[in-house]
Amino acid sequence: MSFIKKFIEQETTNRRDLLLASAYGLGGVAAAGLMGSGMARAAIADPTIAWSYRNRTNPYWNEIVSGGEAFVESLGKSKDFLTHLINEGSSEKSLADVKALLSKTNGDLALAIDTNDAPNARPVVEACVEAGAYVSTLWNKTDDLHPWDFGDNYVSHMSWSDEGPAEQTARVLLEAMGGKGGVVHLGGIASNNPAIERLNGLKNALKDYSDVELLDAQPADWDTQKANQIMSSFLTRYGDEITGVHCANDTIAYGVLEALRAEGIAGMPVVSYDGNPQAVELVAKGEILATVFTNPHWGGGITAALAYHAAVGHFKPSEEPEAHREFYGPTIFVTPDDALDFKAKYLDSVPTYDWTDFWGPSNGQIQYT
Amino acid sequence: MVDTTAGIAPRARFLTRERIIKWAPLLVLGVLVLLFPFFEWLEDVRAGDAHTYLLDSRFFSIRNAARIGISATPALMVAIGVTFIIIMGSIDLSMEGTVSVCAVIFAFVFIAWGGTVLSWAWLAIPIAMLVGAAMGFINGLVHVKLKIPSFMASLAMGFVGTGLALLLTGGDRVRVEDPIFRSLLTERWFNFPVMVYVALVFLLIAWFIQSRTTLGRNFYAVGGGEELAHASGLNVERVRLMGFTLAGVFFAVGALLAVGRIGIAETATGNNFMFVSITAVVVGGTALWGGIGGVWNTLVGVLIVNVINNGMVVIGLPAFLQDAVLGILVIIAVVLSTDRRSVSFVK
Repeated sequence: MSFIKKFIEQETTNRRDLLLASAYGLGGVAAAGLMGSGMARAAIADPTIAWSYRNRTNPYWNEIVSGGEAFVESLGKSKDFLTHLINEGSSEKSLADVKALLSKTNGDLALAIDTNDAPNARPVVEACVEAGAYVSTLWNKTDDLHPWDFGDNYVSHMSWSDEGPAEQTARVLLEAMGGKGGVVHLGGIASNNPAIERLNGLKNALKDYSDVELLDAQPADWDTQKANQIMSSFLTRYGDEITGVHCANDTIAYGVLEALRAEGIAGMPVVSYDGNPQAVELVAKGEILATVFTNPHWGGGITAALAYHAAVGHFKPSEEPEAHREFYGPTIFVTPDDALDFKAKYLDSVPTYDWTDFWGPSNGQIQYT
Repeated sequence: MVDTTAGIAPRARFLTRERIIKWAPLLVLGVLVLLFPFFEWLEDVRAGDAHTYLLDSRFFSIRNAARIGISATPALMVAIGVTFIIIMGSIDLSMEGTVSVCAVIFAFVFIAWGGTVLSWAWLAIPIAMLVGAAMGFINGLVHVKLKIPSFMASLAMGFVGTGLALLLTGGDRVRVEDPIFRSLLTERWFNFPVMVYVALVFLLIAWFIQSRTTLGRNFYAVGGGEELAHASGLNVERVRLMGFTLAGVFFAVGALLAVGRIGIAETATGNNFMFVSITAVVVGGTALWGGIGGVWNTLVGVLIVNVINNGMVVIGLPAFLQDAVLGILVIIAVVLSTDRRSVSFVK
């Protein structure tokens, strides 16, 4: 049982370090290392950098993590320096992995994490704070959990609100429909927050268009083939009544476009979301009228960068305003007019970002309703 | 449908129990096809609109039949593949991985070798089928030679396939834009797209294999009583290996049609095929314990599942009810269409 004993010892030491560090007070006074050098708590000389996320099979998370790797490379390290904690959609695994890594690195850790679900954010953050590590979260956290309640160690939280941008795409769609007719919505997995927000965006826009009817909204589970089948069923039920299609994301739009092509229907206004490269090409061709790019590459990179730079002491999170601790990620609206410019700038070659410009592209402080 | 109830005496009662069970899946399909227009009729009548039952139905129309055909064909190919395995009393759950791998390899080869059917790129089609056969063969080897139950062996091979597809694509989608290949979807003969006829041809091939070849008969022999077949000198292992290989080929055809339908090959191409195909086979009246059923049952089963999926949206059933209704309809269909009296226990 020696490993348990060792673990308890380590935990005790960590806690003692933390107490000592607080006792020494502010200003980066290093606590005397009980287990060797480099135990400075207020600034960590060379922290392990880790990204904790679902998995890489999803193109979205693949982009996020590639941003994390780009950031690590910008430090002059190989991209293998980034430690990957893969939770496969399990909050329990997410927390257990973080605790294991904290123990392995003795708290010398800069962690970027999506905690998989909102309630899991608190234990993850508390474990990091207790170990003296620095953590930045993405997407999931409960509304009552705020970085500024944890001093410097809970560096930041970034999320996206999709309601506004989805409303914007809806307005493009409704204008293209001439402000009349019928619209159908194909959504994501019904319980997913982005799916709910994107449908709400459409509903908000519809309030200004009394001559347009929302014929139907069905979940297509972010899946191209399911979207394809639902769209063809919609065509059976509503036929010519459908004059516009609002899709919750690009993968859904691909299925919708193919269902329309199968029927020989051309020129139906369709809008989507996410700004995937193929969708942007379709926007350039005018087959999709608008999509929204959330720049996951930047989001993944900057989340890791914030945790890292706070950990090494380049900035002091507690001295930043709240808008710099909780903020919305970027949303870039892509329409046929600017699709080619957008593609050249963001997709053909991934831009080299300044990973110390933490808040430039962000989108204001997170608001709670 | 293959007559597995040999020995009915001439001049027997017309409506024997066996006969009812044999035709039950078709009956279920017929009822469903008449049921959904009824709900449409009800909706319009309640709203005070004129509506002649069936004639004014949007569901009961050629155009919708074509739509159901489009959504059913890839699943039909996959379901036929697994039908052979289920007739043998085994199960094959590798379809999602195999379909993804075949789709992705097809797309890569097709694009690398010219990107149009008129160039050497057409070779991508037989190559994809060979890949399917190879995956099925390996699946069979793992099952037969390592003596791992087919359930576990094929499930594991499915994961291997999904992983392999992901490795090949790196999570990206591959677009297949060739207009000639896409004419599977866009070209129509007598209101139905070409892919429906392609599926029909493969259905006939499957029926030929099932009823006119030794291999097909051996599937039934193995499923009906493996010990007996073995004792009669049948090389059961070889039959199983060939069965899994054949299933792999049909999974590959399903993959080709799935790519033809949406023009995209990706790791997710295989998604949902496991549920749809196994459900379809069972609903069609092929028994999971083996020896009973066949490809025509599977055709009816696939149509039942797709008619339900299409019909639920057409009658405007709320999304949160659809999964529950599908589940209940599947149970009803299985109850009606399989003869469970002869089975002493179900596991």
